[in-house]
Amino acid sequence: MSQEPKTGFTGRRRVRRTSKMVKYGDMMARTCITVGGVGTILAVGLVCVFLTWKVLPLFQSPKVESAKVVQVEANHGKIIHLDLDEFRNISMVVYEDGTVVTQDIATGKKLQELTLVPDGKKLTAWSFGIGGKHMMLGYEDGSTRVGDLGFSVRFLEKSEAPVAAQELEIGDVTAVDGVIYSKTPEGQLRSQFAKLTLEDPIAPDKDSNGSAIRLIDHTIFNESPIYVTLNDKGDLKINRITRKENWMTGKVTFSVSQGDLPYDTQSHADKPAYLKLAGLGDSVLVSWKDGFSQRFDTRDFNKPVLAETLDLTPQSNHTITALQFMNGRNTLIVGDSSGELSAWFRTKPEGTETSDGAVLTKAHSLPSGNAAATAIAVSSRSRMIVVGFADASAAIYQVTVGNQLVHAGIKDSKDAVQAVAMAPKDNGMMAVTNKQIGMWNVDPKYPAITAGAIFLPVWYEGYAEPTHVWQSSAGTDDSEPKYGLYPLIFGTLKATFYSMLFGLPIAILAAVYTSEFLHPRVKAWVKPTIELMASLPSVVLGFLAALVFAPFFEKFVPSMLACVATIPLSFLLGAYLWQLLPHELAIRLDNIGDIAPSPTEKVNPLRMILFKLGGVRLVCLFVMFALSLVAALALGTPIEHLLFAGDVKRWLDGQIGNGIGAWMILLLPLSGLAAAFVISRVVNPKVAAYGDTRTRGKVAVLDLAKFLLACVLTCIIAYAVSALLNGIGWDPRGSYVDTYVQRNALIVGFVMGFAIIPIIYTIAEDALSAVPTHLRSASLGAGATPWQTATRIIMPTAMSGLFSAMMIGLGRAVGETMIVLMAAGNTPVMEMNIFNGFRTLAANIAVELPEAPKDGTHFRMLFLAALTLFAMTFVVNTIAEAVRLRFRKKAIQL
Amino acid sequence: MGTNPVMDKSMTTTESDLNTAATTSVTQPDDRDQLTLEQIAACDNFKSEIHDSLYQETSIINVKDFNLWYGTKQALFNINMPIAEGQVTALVGPSGCGKSTLLRSVNRINDLIDGLHIGGDMLLNGTSIYDKSVDVIELRKRMGMVFQKPNPFPMSIFENVVYSLRIDGERNKGVLEEVCERSLRGAALWDEVKDRIHESALGLSGGQQQRLCIARAIAAEPEVLLMDEPCSALDPIATGKIEDLVEELRGEYTILMVTHNMQQASRASNYTAFMYLGRLVEYGPTRDIFTNPHLRPTEDYISGRFG
Ligand SMILES: Nc1ncnc2c1ncn2[C@@H]1O[C@H](COP(=O)(O)OP(=O)(O)O)[C@@H](O)[C@H]1O
Ligand SMILES: [Mg+2]
Repeated sequence: MSQEPKTGFTGRRRVRRTSKMVKYGDMMARTCITVGGVGTILAVGLVCVFLTWKVLPLFQSPKVESAKVVQVEANHGKIIHLDLDEFRNISMVVYEDGTVVTQDIATGKKLQELTLVPDGKKLTAWSFGIGGKHMMLGYEDGSTRVGDLGFSVRFLEKSEAPVAAQELEIGDVTAVDGVIYSKTPEGQLRSQFAKLTLEDPIAPDKDSNGSAIRLIDHTIFNESPIYVTLNDKGDLKINRITRKENWMTGKVTFSVSQGDLPYDTQSHADKPAYLKLAGLGDSVLVSWKDGFSQRFDTRDFNKPVLAETLDLTPQSNHTITALQFMNGRNTLIVGDSSGELSAWFRTKPEGTETSDGAVLTKAHSLPSGNAAATAIAVSSRSRMIVVGFADASAAIYQVTVGNQLVHAGIKDSKDAVQAVAMAPKDNGMMAVTNKQIGMWNVDPKYPAITAGAIFLPVWYEGYAEPTHVWQSSAGTDDSEPKYGLYPLIFGTLKATFYSMLFGLPIAILAAVYTSEFLHPRVKAWVKPTIELMASLPSVVLGFLAALVFAPFFEKFVPSMLACVATIPLSFLLGAYLWQLLPHELAIRLDNIGDIAPSPTEKVNPLRMILFKLGGVRLVCLFVMFALSLVAALALGTPIEHLLFAGDVKRWLDGQIGNGIGAWMILLLPLSGLAAAFVISRVVNPKVAAYGDTRTRGKVAVLDLAKFLLACVLTCIIAYAVSALLNGIGWDPRGSYVDTYVQRNALIVGFVMGFAIIPIIYTIAEDALSAVPTHLRSASLGAGATPWQTATRIIMPTAMSGLFSAMMIGLGRAVGETMIVLMAAGNTPVMEMNIFNGFRTLAANIAVELPEAPKDGTHFRMLFLAALTLFAMTFVVNTIAEAVRLRFRKKAIQL
Repeated sequence: MGTNPVMDKSMTTTESDLNTAATTSVTQPDDRDQLTLEQIAACDNFKSEIHDSLYQETSIINVKDFNLWYGTKQALFNINMPIAEGQVTALVGPSGCGKSTLLRSVNRINDLIDGLHIGGDMLLNGTSIYDKSVDVIELRKRMGMVFQKPNPFPMSIFENVVYSLRIDGERNKGVLEEVCERSLRGAALWDEVKDRIHESALGLSGGQQQRLCIARAIAAEPEVLLMDEPCSALDPIATGKIEDLVEELRGEYTILMVTHNMQQASRASNYTAFMYLGRLVEYGPTRDIFTNPHLRPTEDYISGRFG
């Protein structure tokens, strides 16, 4: 007989063995959680690794990949110019006598020979444009000629090519009859050869008497050449050739406009050695061997004037051995006989008395070479230059950061380099001595980036001093990209600061209010409502900020400023007025919101509405808020007249009025504290006795009087101190308050404050509500008021949670993109000015990433910006976590 | 501000009328000797058995026709109860009978609870506790409260003790220190903590924490000390110490104490009130209640026959 299972007390037998399903479920859950947790950590780590991986190449050092030296295949005297093609196949050497010789770099074989003197007149002056092609020549009879010298590239059908070139493999190069044929990686057949076109000579002026052109320089401005010439007689002339094409007939005519520069042949014993024309043709520099230079202001062709004289080799007796404008013809590179190199450009420091307000300033000293710098060539697409030295070596420099990137020499040679060239794609340099041509394939990596260029002030072209600037892309190749990250970091901090300044107190106070003061019934709808704010997409907030709020604010600047004072003051005033109510009435009014009308009672509908709204106090609060807005609007105009000389925007500009108004704004909170202190120390003891003996109502009147007194006192103190500071001569305008821009930090602070309020509020409220009720009861039971309970017990106990709330808000503010993108104006300026815009790291990435060429310097810099942002939030969160844990250790024992 | 669950007189009547209509038997049972628990439970208006000797004492608190509802659920029914000045009064009764509720109504800490209504009143030294013009904060300053679970604040022992002085704005260090020492001595804790009064109070043992809470309560110089099962979370030794303490404080303070422990009630109190399902059943000198209760349910409860 089978034994009946013994039933238990409940008549049910419990199976003691844990079922397989439960165990399996446990295991699944554990695995999922582990995978999820590790996966999250891994993902964050991977993001970090990925960013770093994208950023690290920025800091690689450039290197020479290969070197090639071939013999010079001709001898026509001094070499005046060197060039090479974009595929680094052909060298082009231009001799003093006008002969142009091209050679195959691979084999050293001569390819072509051309001449710049088709009519046999002796070449006396030359000016070769940056990046090849355009040149300007001067001859012994005083005539000049415009020409193009460069390389022609054509892609051929197989049948068009000579037989020897038809069967090339990819990457092969061969020369046939002076033409280089090569197979591109795409499988196309490519031919390259040197191409020279010379226009008809421009006849010399009648008054020059056929004097030979000694020096010439030219620039292309608006597609028409501007050039300066200096002839043997000492005439220094500036000319503009205007090309006119008749659109009916297609006939091209040139017209030349001319100006005479007030050049004095007696100004120096020697003849000038260099003549340089700046980019827009607005400035001409004449330099002598010893560094003495004269700069002419040629903005007005009809009336050029001498702007300044200066020494390009200051404090040394070195002579200038090479002088060249960089791309854009603003920065001048000076190489001297000792190998020292410096970069100069015009700056406009305040108080300059030259005719164009600018002075040529030495901005960079580049690391010097071991021998005289004999030749300089510049890149047509970046801020790099090649310098050739007298010891048969050449080096590439990055001028903005002042670095030497590579330095290489021709082996076993001591000949001076006569000319250098930069490969058109910045991937090589070439140097020629009278015997040899050296060619180096170079990988410059990311030459414009060094830690210094990112984080230290850099002296950019045209700036009066080294500064932090972010200006990653300008329209043209000849502008200098500026990669200072500080303005973006600064913008990020500024946005964070102002939004926290606005959002944090409101959010924390709101959390304290809802958790400690608000009736649970009202809290039940207030909290979800505020949390709902968090679901508002930030793009909507940004949109509102930029298109609604910013223009509105701009219209009512003084009123909005007044709001800052009227809103808190109206709340305080409301509190004091409430106290004036007879005590019984006050409690009765309180009860309306606090006690549910009993179901049997006949309820007055008004009372029901008030109850639903959370009581009379809360309604009064809203009324006071509305009143404060009205007051602010009404006060706007008087305040504008009183403090801001009637027009706040011009006043902010610093055009009118004085600094008192600005000081008032800044000092108002402080003087409020001072007034409160005075009241509590001086007035309170005097009236304490009075308060003890009087009734509630009288005490309330007294309190109100004290409050009003404090307000008046605040204004007086603020005004007195402001007047004093203004009297001393300090005017905060120009730093913290300055020119008003429509999209500014205040707007962003306000709107982003709204974005961070919900999260800070929610977390803070949860933390406060989580404080055990028994502590609240203990404190209230000891006779503490709710406010005392909140500040002395609840908030300190919940500190860890409040702190996390703050830090999460901070993290959100640091990384917030859309609001700042839309409302901050996105100008990367570094100004404390609260009325100015800024650009944050996040907004910058969002704006620029789509247009940054992949894997370029700019692209990788944006990744660095991202990495910086990541580091910032990481640091913030780590600190937050550490502090939170400390606080929590205290609270956990409860 | 806390809520003020004052109920209009009119409301009291309507509400009790409502209850009257709803219940079947509301008449006072005639035969008090044969009274059963069921009869008590059925009666909304139960007239408590209050021993005459209580009327000879001067009462500091006088509970008058006190009713209390949590929402729609009534938790106290028509309590009338004078509390003798300078004596220890114990509230006993089975769990959920409303002892804590009654105690917490005395200093209106219950105000915080949502949906609370009360009817009737309490008088503290002749002045109403539930009057509309009463300042709750002031009222609470006249009473000290010790809770079931020790609840020291997360700060130093010193700050815990002088908390009530701090909130009154006392800054004088000498005063604070003196009050601290006296209170701790009064709570028989001084010798154990005198070397570490600036350390966190959370480092004390449960019994010490409870005595600290008593010290905190007596530092406020209350007129009445309210204790809600002060020993229920403590071990026998700590319990003994608290009982000794209550013994010592008797005379200085009026103590109203909730307890579950019959021995404790009999040892420590002068008067004992027995409550059942929100009604005050019998109230008299402890000795009488324990040895010679007037009502049968009291006797049953005291002797451990139910509860
Ligand atoms: N906050 C509350 N809300 C609703 N009902 C409550 C609340 N506190 C206590 N009660 C109810 O009131 C009755 C009395 O509770 P309580 O006074 O705590 O009993 P005791 O302290 O005697 O054990 C119980 O039925 C309990 O469920
Ligand atoms: Mg209880």
